[in-house]
Amino acid sequence: MNGGFAKPALSMVLLSAAAALLVSRWSGRPAPSEATGDREVRGGASPAVAEGVPAESARVQPALRVYQDWRTYTKRDGLPSDKAYAVRVDGARVWVGTDAGLAYLEDGRWHTLGVRDGLAHAGVLAIDVNPTTGDVWIGTFGGLNRWSGGRLETFNQLNSGLANDFVYGVSSKGEEVWVATAAGASRLNIRTGEWSIFDDSNVSLHEPWTYGVHVNDGMVYIAAWGGGVLEYHPATGQWRDYRDPDGEMEFDLFPNDGLIHDITTGVSFENGILWVSTYFGLARYDGARWQGYFDHDSGLISNFINSVRARGPVAWVCTDLGLNAFDGTTWVTYQRDTIMGDGRILIGTGKEPTTRLRSATAIAHNYVIGVDFQGDTVWVATAGGVSRGVPRAR
Amino acid sequence: MTGRQRTIVLATPGAVALLAALGAGHHYSAEHAHAVAGNDSASLNCLPCHVYTAQDGLLGKVFQERYLSPREIAVARDGRRLYVTAEEDDALLVVQLHARTVLDRIPVGKHPHTVVLSRDGRTAYVSNGWSGSVSQVDLTARRVSREFAVGDGPAGMVLDSEERVLYVANGGTNDISVVDLESGRERHRLAGGQNPHGVALAPDGDRVYVTSRLSNPVPFRTPPVTEVTVVDARTQRVTERRQVYAAHMMEGVDFTPRGDLALVTLVRPKNLLPATQLQGGWMLTFGLGVIEPGERGAVWQVLLDDANAFYADPYDVAVTPDGKRAFISHAGADLLTVIDLDSLRGVLVGTARADTATLANHLGMSRRYVVSRIRTGANPKGLGMSPDGRFVYVAEQLADRVAIVSVDSLRIVGDIDLGGPRRISFVRRGQRLFHRADHTFQEQFSCRSCHPDGHTDGLSYDIESDLLGRNVVNNLTLLELKGLAPYKWTGKNASLYRQCGFRFAKFFTRTEAYAEEDLNALVAYIFSLSYAPNRYRSASGEPTPAQGRGRRIFERSLTNGGREIPPANRCITCHPPPRFTNRMMFDVGTRGPTDTDGLFDTPALVNLYESAPYLHDGRAATLEEIWTRFGNEDRHGVVTDLTKSQLNDLIEFLRALGPPGNGR
Repeated sequence: MNGGFAKPALSMVLLSAAAALLVSRWSGRPAPSEATGDREVRGGASPAVAEGVPAESARVQPALRVYQDWRTYTKRDGLPSDKAYAVRVDGARVWVGTDAGLAYLEDGRWHTLGVRDGLAHAGVLAIDVNPTTGDVWIGTFGGLNRWSGGRLETFNQLNSGLANDFVYGVSSKGEEVWVATAAGASRLNIRTGEWSIFDDSNVSLHEPWTYGVHVNDGMVYIAAWGGGVLEYHPATGQWRDYRDPDGEMEFDLFPNDGLIHDITTGVSFENGILWVSTYFGLARYDGARWQGYFDHDSGLISNFINSVRARGPVAWVCTDLGLNAFDGTTWVTYQRDTIMGDGRILIGTGKEPTTRLRSATAIAHNYVIGVDFQGDTVWVATAGGVSRGVPRAR
Repeated sequence: MTGRQRTIVLATPGAVALLAALGAGHHYSAEHAHAVAGNDSASLNCLPCHVYTAQDGLLGKVFQERYLSPREIAVARDGRRLYVTAEEDDALLVVQLHARTVLDRIPVGKHPHTVVLSRDGRTAYVSNGWSGSVSQVDLTARRVSREFAVGDGPAGMVLDSEERVLYVANGGTNDISVVDLESGRERHRLAGGQNPHGVALAPDGDRVYVTSRLSNPVPFRTPPVTEVTVVDARTQRVTERRQVYAAHMMEGVDFTPRGDLALVTLVRPKNLLPATQLQGGWMLTFGLGVIEPGERGAVWQVLLDDANAFYADPYDVAVTPDGKRAFISHAGADLLTVIDLDSLRGVLVGTARADTATLANHLGMSRRYVVSRIRTGANPKGLGMSPDGRFVYVAEQLADRVAIVSVDSLRIVGDIDLGGPRRISFVRRGQRLFHRADHTFQEQFSCRSCHPDGHTDGLSYDIESDLLGRNVVNNLTLLELKGLAPYKWTGKNASLYRQCGFRFAKFFTRTEAYAEEDLNALVAYIFSLSYAPNRYRSASGEPTPAQGRGRRIFERSLTNGGREIPPANRCITCHPPPRFTNRMMFDVGTRGPTDTDGLFDTPALVNLYESAPYLHDGRAATLEEIWTRFGNEDRHGVVTDLTKSQLNDLIEFLRALGPPGNGR
C-alpha cells in the first residue's frame, strides 16, 4: 500500500460521490463584481484556445471560452442512471457510461444498452472511439466491450487475453486498443488478435493497478496507482516511467521537481503536453519541465481529481468539487450551487479568481468524473447526470 | 537328367518360395489394409493410400492433375469477355465469349477467389485466398501490375461507386479490408462477421453488404446467428450488422436493381436436434435470406428446397438487370434454381412479421416463387450476368467449364471448355463425390455442407447413434487427416473408410454405402486436403518473442514453482510435432453431463485458430476458455500456476502451429 491509501474500488467511487453531494454545496454569495454574460478570457504568456476551434485556428485566435449554458440529462431523460462515469463523443452520437449501463444519445433520443444486450457489466467506467474504424471500446467492471455496428462483443479475462475484468481506462487508435485494468495494462492488436500485458513483471509498476490510459500522437501514457506515469513509445518499444522524485505520499516536498505524486488517476497527452491527474493535485509536463498545481496555490478547485482530458492546450480537470478548464495560465472553474441550483464560474490565474460569474444553468453535479468535446460543445459526466455545455453566440 | 529336367528341379523350390512370399506379402498387405481401413472388404488394396494420393515425385506427376477449378466470374461491360478465377491453377483466365475460348491465362496469387473489374475494363482485381493479397491485373498488358496485402483468406470483393476504394472480405481474419486504390494500401480493417465471404455494393452506392459463412459466437448449444455486415461506403465504417438467425454459410449476395432487397444464399442447420431428424428429412435446409435495407428493414428467410427434395449448398446469387428473376447456384446439387422475384415479394408481403420463422422452415413455399431448376455440370459456383441480361454464366468448378444459360429459355445454351485436364484423376473423382449431395438421403447435404473447404462449419452436432441428446460433438476439420487415425472425438473410427463407408451409409444415405471405388476416391480426396499457410508464422519461421516464450511453456517440465509436471500432463506429451497429436485417447476432465465417456481422441493443433469453438463439444468459444473456464483443474496440462501473461504467450505459440512447410 502507498502511504496508507486504499485502492479506490467502486464503493469508494460511490461513497465519494455521495460525500461530494453533501459537502460540495456552494456557500458563497455573489460578489459585487460578479456579472453574467459570455466572456472570452484572454490568456497571458501562454496562448489560450477557443474551444471548439481547430488547433491551427486557436493559435491565431487564442481564447479560453466560458460556458454558461448547460443542459443536464438524467435518468428522467432516458439515461440508465444519474451516476455517469464516462462520456465520449462519437461524431453526432454521445456515449455515456453509468453505474447501471451504457447509453448513447442520437437524434435527440437516448438509447440504452445493458447486460442483457451483451454489455460485460452494468458499471461502465471508460469509453473510447477508434477514430479509424468508428468502433467503440467500453471498459466495465466485468471486462471490455467492443460496440461495432450495433454488435457488442465481450473480451474478459476468461475468454481473452485481457489482464483483468476491472477496466478503468481504454484508449484506441489505429490497430491497437490499450486497456488500463486492475491487474496491469493490456494491449490488443486488433489486426492480429494478440494480447500483451504490462504489469509489475515487465514494466516499472509499483502495483498492478492502472487507472487511465491515453494513446495519442504516437505515444502511450498510462496512469498507474503507485507507479506514477508510464510512457511507451510504440516505434521503439521503449518504456519510461515518471515518478514523484520526493516519494512523499502526503505532500509535494519539492515543487515542480517532477510528477507530484505516484498515485495517479488519469493522463492526457495533447499538443506535446502531458497532463496527469492525481488525488493530490494536477501535473503538467511539456517534455522538459514539470509543473504542479494544487488547490492552495492555483485556480484548481480541488486536489482530488478523477480525470483530466486535454483539448489543444487546454486541460479539462474533473474534480470532486467541480470542473476546471486550464490553459496553462488561466483557470476557469465550473461549479453548481447545490442550494440555488445555478452555476458559479470562477476565472483567474491564481488561487483567488479575478472574475466571478453566475449562470442560470450549471453542470449536473460537482462530482465530475469525465469530460469530452463535440465541436464547440462540452460534455461532462458527473455523479448527478450528464451535462452539455454550449457557448452562447457572440 | 536332361538339362530341362535339371532346370525344373532347380527352379521349382524357387518358384514355390516366390509364390509363398507373394502370398505372405499379399496376406500381410490385405491385413494391413483391413486394419488401417477398419474394413475387411476384399477389394481394398494399397493404391489409394500409397499411390493415388501421392502429391509429389514421380507418382504425383503420374497420378495427379492440375485442374483449373473455376470459382468466380466477372463479365466485361461490353459483354465480350469473361474473367474467371482458376482456384487450383493460381490464375485468372481471360475468356473470349464469341469464340468461347480462353484467350489468356494470367498467373496471380495462390488460390484466387474473386475477380472484379473496373468500369473501363482495363483493370481487374483478384483476391488471392492463400496469399492474403489482392492482385491488380492490367488487362491490356495481361499481367499483374501490383499486388497489395490484405487480411487472411481474402474472398469476395467490390469496388465503391467511384472506384477509389476496394472492399475485401477476409475470411480468415474475420474482417473487411478497406483498400485505397490510388495508393494501393489498406486504409483500415473493419471487424466483420465470422468468415466473411460475399460482398456487394447497393445500387445507390451507399452501402456495402458483406455476408458471413459462420455463426457469431453464441451461447453453447444455441442456434447459430450469422451476420451480414453493412458498411457505409461514405464513412467506410460499419453501420449495421444484420443478424440472420438459425442460419449460416451465407456465401453469395446480390441486390435487386432498385436496391429494395438484398438476397443472400444460406443454409439452415438443425444441429441442435438429434440426427434422427435427417432420417425424417430434416437436417439441413437451403434457402435465401431476403434483407430489406435500413435498420428496421426485415430479414426474411425462404427455402429453395421442396418437400422431400433438397438442393444442397447454395453458393451464389445473381439478379437479372430487369429485377424480375434471380439465379442461385447449388454447388452440391449441380443445378441452378431460378426464382421469380415478384412472386417472392408476394409471399413476403403476405407474411406477417410474426410468421417469419414459419416461412423460414416452410418446405412447401418454394413452388410459389421457384420457376425453374436447371441442371449444370459439376459443382456450379460463381455466377456472372451478361450486361444485357440475356445470359447467366456459371462457373462449373469441378468440370473446368463455364456454362452459358439463357435467361429467356432457362436452358443451358452452350459451354466454354476452359482447358483443364481431360483425365479425371482419382482424387478429382473423390472431390466431386465430396461436393455432391446425391449420396445422402433425399440429397439433403454433401460432405462439404458441414465441411466447407474441407474444414469445419464450427457447429456442434448431436450425431451419435447411442442415445438422443447424448454425446454432442464439435465438428472436426478434415484438413490433413492422413496418418491421424483414429478419427472422431471418441476415436471409434479406425479409418476414414469406416467413417465415410458404412457409418456414412447408416446415418446419412439410408440406402447403400459408397461403392468401393468411390469410397477409395473419397478417402483419397480427403487425404489430399491441406491447410492454408499459418498466418501467425513469419515468413522466416522465426517466432515472435511471445511465441518463443509460449513454446517454452508448451515444452516445460517444471511449474513456475519448480515442481515437476508429470510427463503425462505436459503439453508436449500429448501434442508432439509435427501434427501436435499423439493420436491417443485421454481424459482431460471435460466430460459433460451428456457424455458417455471422458476419454477423447487428442486433436491435432495445426492452424487451430481456424477451428473455434474448442473441446470435444465446442463448449470453449476461445482458446483461453479451454483453460480459464474448462481446464482449471490441471487435468488438461498444468496451467493453474501460469500468470495471465504466460497463458497469453502459450496461446500465441499455439496459434502459430502450422502445417509442415507451412502450406507454402
